[in-house]
Amino acid sequence: MNNLILEVKDVAIAFGGVRAVNGATLNVEVGSVTSVIGPNGAGKTTLFNLISGAIKPDSGTILFEGLEIQNLLPHKIADRGIIRTFQGAKVIKRMSVLDNLMLGGQDNPGDSLVNFFNPKARRAYEEQCRNRAMELLQQIGIERFAHEYAGILSGGQRKLLDLARALMANPVMLLLDEPFAGVNPTLVEKLLEVLHALRTQHHLTFLLIEHDLETVMNISDRVIVMAEGRVIAEGEPNSIYENQAVIDAYLGTRKATS
Amino acid sequence: MNALMQPGFWVFILTMSGIYGIFALGLQVQYGVGGILNFGHVGMMALSSYTMAILVISHGINFWIAAATGVGVAALGGAFLGLTTLRLRGDYFSIVSIAFSEIVRYVIYNSDGLTGGVQGSLAIPVIGDNYPSYTDTWDSLMNRAREILNPVFGEIADREFVMAIIVWITLGTLLFLVSRIERTSWARVLRATREDDEVPAALGKNVFRFRLQAVILGSIIGGIAGIYWALESSLLSPDDFLTLVTFYGWMILILSGATKVKGLPIAAIFFGFLYGGTRFFTFWPFSTFDASQRAYIRIMIIGIVLIILMMRRPQGIFGKRQEMVLE
Amino acid sequence: MAEFVQLLFNGLVEGSIFGIAALGISLVYSVLRLVNFAAGDFLTLGAFTTFFFAVDTHLPFILAVIISMVIGVVVSLILEFFLWRKLRKSGAGMLALFLVATGIAFVLRQAIALTFGSNSRKFDIDQIKTFEFLGAQIAQAQLVVLCCASVAITAVALFIKKSTTGKNMRAYSDNPSLAAVSGINVDRVIIATWTISGAFGALAGVFQGTVQGQFTNGMGLDLLLSILAAVVLGTIGDAYGALIGGFVLGVVMELSTWDALLGGIPSTYKPVVAFAVLVIVLLFKPEGIFGVKARKI
Repeated sequence: MNNLILEVKDVAIAFGGVRAVNGATLNVEVGSVTSVIGPNGAGKTTLFNLISGAIKPDSGTILFEGLEIQNLLPHKIADRGIIRTFQGAKVIKRMSVLDNLMLGGQDNPGDSLVNFFNPKARRAYEEQCRNRAMELLQQIGIERFAHEYAGILSGGQRKLLDLARALMANPVMLLLDEPFAGVNPTLVEKLLEVLHALRTQHHLTFLLIEHDLETVMNISDRVIVMAEGRVIAEGEPNSIYENQAVIDAYLGTRKATS
Repeated sequence: MNALMQPGFWVFILTMSGIYGIFALGLQVQYGVGGILNFGHVGMMALSSYTMAILVISHGINFWIAAATGVGVAALGGAFLGLTTLRLRGDYFSIVSIAFSEIVRYVIYNSDGLTGGVQGSLAIPVIGDNYPSYTDTWDSLMNRAREILNPVFGEIADREFVMAIIVWITLGTLLFLVSRIERTSWARVLRATREDDEVPAALGKNVFRFRLQAVILGSIIGGIAGIYWALESSLLSPDDFLTLVTFYGWMILILSGATKVKGLPIAAIFFGFLYGGTRFFTFWPFSTFDASQRAYIRIMIIGIVLIILMMRRPQGIFGKRQEMVLE
Repeated sequence: MAEFVQLLFNGLVEGSIFGIAALGISLVYSVLRLVNFAAGDFLTLGAFTTFFFAVDTHLPFILAVIISMVIGVVVSLILEFFLWRKLRKSGAGMLALFLVATGIAFVLRQAIALTFGSNSRKFDIDQIKTFEFLGAQIAQAQLVVLCCASVAITAVALFIKKSTTGKNMRAYSDNPSLAAVSGINVDRVIIATWTISGAFGALAGVFQGTVQGQFTNGMGLDLLLSILAAVVLGTIGDAYGALIGGFVLGVVMELSTWDALLGGIPSTYKPVVAFAVLVIVLLFKPEGIFGVKARKI
């Protein structure tokens, strides 16, 4: 019917009196790269948390592939194909890089204790999973760290790991929370390469939060601008540049009205 | 000092070490893998042993079925504890877990008609005139085992000896199984949750389900320890299942380096000596106290050892060096 | 009706004792992030030392109580300086803190048993005198406990609200690092916390001994469960919550034995009621009655 993979309708949530998201409405088209931008405190990460299920909205609905997800638990939302990365790149520091990736494996028979008595199935999956993980590590260029503790990776490398791990989880839509923040330019190039390859190979949809406006303008099909918990503008990158409301929001000439 | 010279004493220590080792293993599955601080573990032991005893004595049920049911009830106890409290924050879970085992003990203490109450398993109501000891089936099994072992081991192979062997074979088997479980992806998910709940959830793992399974698995192992305990002491009493016992288990875990199973047998034996050996400290300065006072001192010593252990290793576990640097 | 009033009153008295002990535990948690499992044994210590000074040494009862409170404070502070301080510095985790607290509990309990023996004790107070109120028998001892508990609670509440140290305690519990760099005397805050918790622990023990009549060295442990339930119920770290949790639990536990409620639960099962209430509340409010992750005093 429509090619909207994600529909956020009038979603709101308040934390102890502060309306972090105050009636946000936005749509994401299948296969697109959509970026969410806005000044600090605009509610971008909270929006991500709402979509990924980490928190429940006070009101409004979120539809993914036409089905409501706003009341689902995070792991159920991940099951449906929305995989997110985290601001600051959360890695499990005391596990190896390879193990971190293998965590992303879906429908792993070894996850069920019952299959403890079926070592063959477990081994077969683990091997396949490991191969896939090593391939990904090679693709992003950190395969030499495969057996090291993830805690020794630099910030930028952790971002790559975070992204790779998300990819392991067979995503349909990727929620990337500031994937380029604090990453050196060469790695950013690498990341963009990988993202582009994925987009074409797997028809993935990307929804990202990003502060680097140049990158946003270069890679996005659509840009959504948030401020004070609402969506104040959306459209193609060029149109956003000239949008007065956006400029005001960033320059703060519009005072907070609550 | 004479007591220390008897081989029977050492065999007793060995058996107790084995039983507490199994008990500690149940804890290890929950903490070492899942980072779950269960302080109500003794409750599972109480549930399995009393269930078994009641089924055999009051209902004449076959020992093996009763024992299996006992372990099943321990699993249910773990399920109940997990379902009601695993979603809570860590310290709440710990507090409620203690409350859980205390309540179990409390109910046992106050249900004279069912459990014999303060008088212990001897007062469990019986059908008919005979008091079927729940050790009957086990004893005949042990006698048969003795007949096999006597030619090989000679006089030493008495009931105690056979018991010790069986307990340690069980412990060894369980250690093997658990060490293999710890290499599955199930354990990998749990290890991840020790550091961060959000990452596994974001990858589609139902963290609660994994933790619940860890608690149930640990409770099953604790239940097995309970059955052996019942067999070893032939007689149950609610005072056998104080929270103190849970902390014996924790001590063994701390001594062994809680994240891997390797050190557990040695830690268990060490603890066995600490626990059982101090009973026989009849020499000075301990001889200046009477028996009941010595009991107090024993527990005091255990408390002090616990404190010293934790003061020296406040990070809690003998984790790998690199892991600690990454904090 | 008479029975209801009786049970209600008993519940309030018991609840005030829970509240005092729970307050100490909640304070220690909010300032030091420590769940003091040894708290129950501080109650026992308070009761037994009061007994020693009042009955064995024939000092005036009030003096004996004061001495016990001082002893409670001193023991708490000794533990702070020799154990807790070092543990905090080495960044001890939850497991270490729990195990040390429990170790302390074991040692305390056995030390009390060694010193005082295992016989039950009884204060030399008039347990018999009662008043009648709406058909219920109110023991003078209970009334005294309720009044003293209320006074103590009010005193501490005022202290925390008005005094500088009290304000600093709240600031520190809210944000330890910020408080430390703002020049707050952290040492004084910590000492104040242990002082209140040590004194209140002893007081609660004396109150319980008074109300119970006879007590043994298992007294503190018997109560610890209900006290911890009150702490968790009222949301750990929330001082007012501890008080409310204490009263609610005390009253519910007593009322559960009321005949009119389907025959009532046998009074030996009161702790089970406390546990059931706790679990049920936590199922709906995982943080405790007060919901939010309260770390306020």
